[in-house]
Amino acid sequence: MNQPSPLVSPGTLPPPATARSADSVLSDLRAIVRDLIQFRELLVELTLRDIRIRYKQAAMGVFWAILTPLVLLLSGWILRLAFGRLSGETPNDVVMAGIAVKSLAWAFFVGALAFGTASITANLSLVTKTYFPREILPLASVLTQLVDAGIGTVALAVTLPFFGVHLSLAFLWALPLILALIMITTGAVLLGSCANVFFRDAKHLVQLVLSFGIFFTPVFFSAGNFGPAGARLVMLNPLAPVLEGLRLSMIEGHNLLMPLGAASGAGVVWTPWYLGYAALWAFGLLTAGAVLFHRTEQVFAEYV
Amino acid sequence: MSTGQVEFQRVWKKFRTGEIHNRLRDFIPALVARAVRRRPDALAGGEFWAVRDVSFRLGPGDALGIIGPNGAGKSTILKLLTQILRPTHGHCLIRGRVGVLIEVAAGFHPDLTGRENIFLQGAIMGMPRREILRKFDEIVAFSGVEWFLDTPVKRYSSGMHTRLGFAIAAHLDPDVLIIDEALAVGDAAFQAKAIDRITELVRSAIPVVVVSHQLETIASLCTEAILLSRGMAVQQGTPAECIAAYLNAGGGAAADAPVVTAIRIGDLRLGGADAVPSGGRITIALTCEVADKGTAASESVGVRLRSSQNGESVFETSVLALGQDLPLSGAFVARFDLQLNVPPGVYLVESFVWNRMAGRELTSGPGGAVQVRGGPEFQGPVQMNPLVRVTTGGER
Repeated sequence: MNQPSPLVSPGTLPPPATARSADSVLSDLRAIVRDLIQFRELLVELTLRDIRIRYKQAAMGVFWAILTPLVLLLSGWILRLAFGRLSGETPNDVVMAGIAVKSLAWAFFVGALAFGTASITANLSLVTKTYFPREILPLASVLTQLVDAGIGTVALAVTLPFFGVHLSLAFLWALPLILALIMITTGAVLLGSCANVFFRDAKHLVQLVLSFGIFFTPVFFSAGNFGPAGARLVMLNPLAPVLEGLRLSMIEGHNLLMPLGAASGAGVVWTPWYLGYAALWAFGLLTAGAVLFHRTEQVFAEYV
Repeated sequence: MSTGQVEFQRVWKKFRTGEIHNRLRDFIPALVARAVRRRPDALAGGEFWAVRDVSFRLGPGDALGIIGPNGAGKSTILKLLTQILRPTHGHCLIRGRVGVLIEVAAGFHPDLTGRENIFLQGAIMGMPRREILRKFDEIVAFSGVEWFLDTPVKRYSSGMHTRLGFAIAAHLDPDVLIIDEALAVGDAAFQAKAIDRITELVRSAIPVVVVSHQLETIASLCTEAILLSRGMAVQQGTPAECIAAYLNAGGGAAADAPVVTAIRIGDLRLGGADAVPSGGRITIALTCEVADKGTAASESVGVRLRSSQNGESVFETSVLALGQDLPLSGAFVARFDLQLNVPPGVYLVESFVWNRMAGRELTSGPGGAVQVRGGPEFQGPVQMNPLVRVTTGGER
């Protein structure tokens, strides 16, 4: 022993309190980034693991990556065709292509949320037996889904020309929108996985979002379908401006810095303000998720 | 030169028994209760201290053994050291890369092949991919699973599983090493290899923490030790001291009611160093006092050595048995001189008062422990000071 260590029989000795240093959100974020840089190889390995195990002993292989968005897309088309018959207007290729783009984005969100929320509890032995920044687990889930979405994007890029969609400058809007989508998804996944450690019924709440979220999000429909007032309400959903923005910029070639009126002529279905709204959610949710996760992860091993 | 350092500074860790509120519905009342409770340090219902005010500091070359009964807090200290748990109070600082020989296969995924799992487990242990690539062949050779490298580990035998895990962990080149119990993995041949590797790591001048029930392991690997009991460090010092305290505390002869004897053993003192080479000599001095002159003649004092490995008595003698008489009054010292012709290991030294009439032990006195080290290479329970001479040609 380097230091004299007298026989201490502490008994009722009041424990020395560790003063929690005044944590700021910024110092938390710095710590997270530091951890992620240090453990980046583990993030890659865990992502590879998740991708590999999905394709091991799997009959359909890489086709799984596009199956979910494809099924979503077909559901959307059937719905739109059915409603089209009722209202007497047949949805055109542009509408269908819009549904395809939004289905892919929604499939990414849903998949990441489903796997990410369960990531801590699913890796029980890792969490209770080894140490690494726990953020790695939900982030690996998001990355895995991102790889799938990437495959889906390639498939989409190949098919879009058949719907009469042409490359335009407005396509560039997809980049910040995809970034916002990833940020919102990551924030939600961090919050969900963290909540799931402490409250086992958190996953039921997430399940609700996964099952019924699509009815409150403009995936199969567009905000404009509800008229100006309805559109404003629909666009409150943080994913709505992202999905609608993706559709308008990629499919309709609309510059998102310009407002857009409804097809019926009255009211507005897109204003540039929606971009700010989405960005606000993206930064807010990601920061909140990261900070909350970081502050609670130290006790995960005791609760999980 | 390693720069690893371990510092455990007055660490306390609180645990709860029973279920914790794991539904949102129970959360609000718990929050309110926490806000209302005035002293957050106080123990609420069902809470207990798993570790209480434990401190130690290790630098390069220090090897600390942690011993104690089940539930004493040994595993909790390991989890605090590996940062899986955070202390409730106090500080736990580790500088350098931590190698952990616990749960060496925790990161394995059953569906992945051995090859894929080496990279995964390596990354979990903090090895960059480049480093794993460099050591890959070594790891595979050490584990002995070459033929099954591209087989999913779910088809591995449990031995192959742990051998592969151990091989990865053993090639980490840590700055700080933490070892738990399960030093023994795989078959006898692999065990020997594993122990060799561990010994090599321990001797490589890095701080080491070992938790084990195998007191032999602690005695042979460690330079210092802590005896834990219900979260507290009740003894801190050399491995022999702690092992003695542990065996004495848990030893069977803990007298329930003090037996009144005519002779009382006040003190047991071991002559020489803590560690004696096999075949070396020690002295055991018993300081005694005759309390009852009337019946003292019917009593004698003796010493016994037990193996710490299985608790069996390996040697026992008494003043009477050696044909000596004791004084019938006053204080005296009985000095035993023993030659330790026993295999290396830790031996518990006990003293006792013997009734020569009844021919039975009345009570046990103070004890100690001696560590037997080194000596000639041999197998078996007795050290026979072997000598060997090899001759060639016709000489008989």
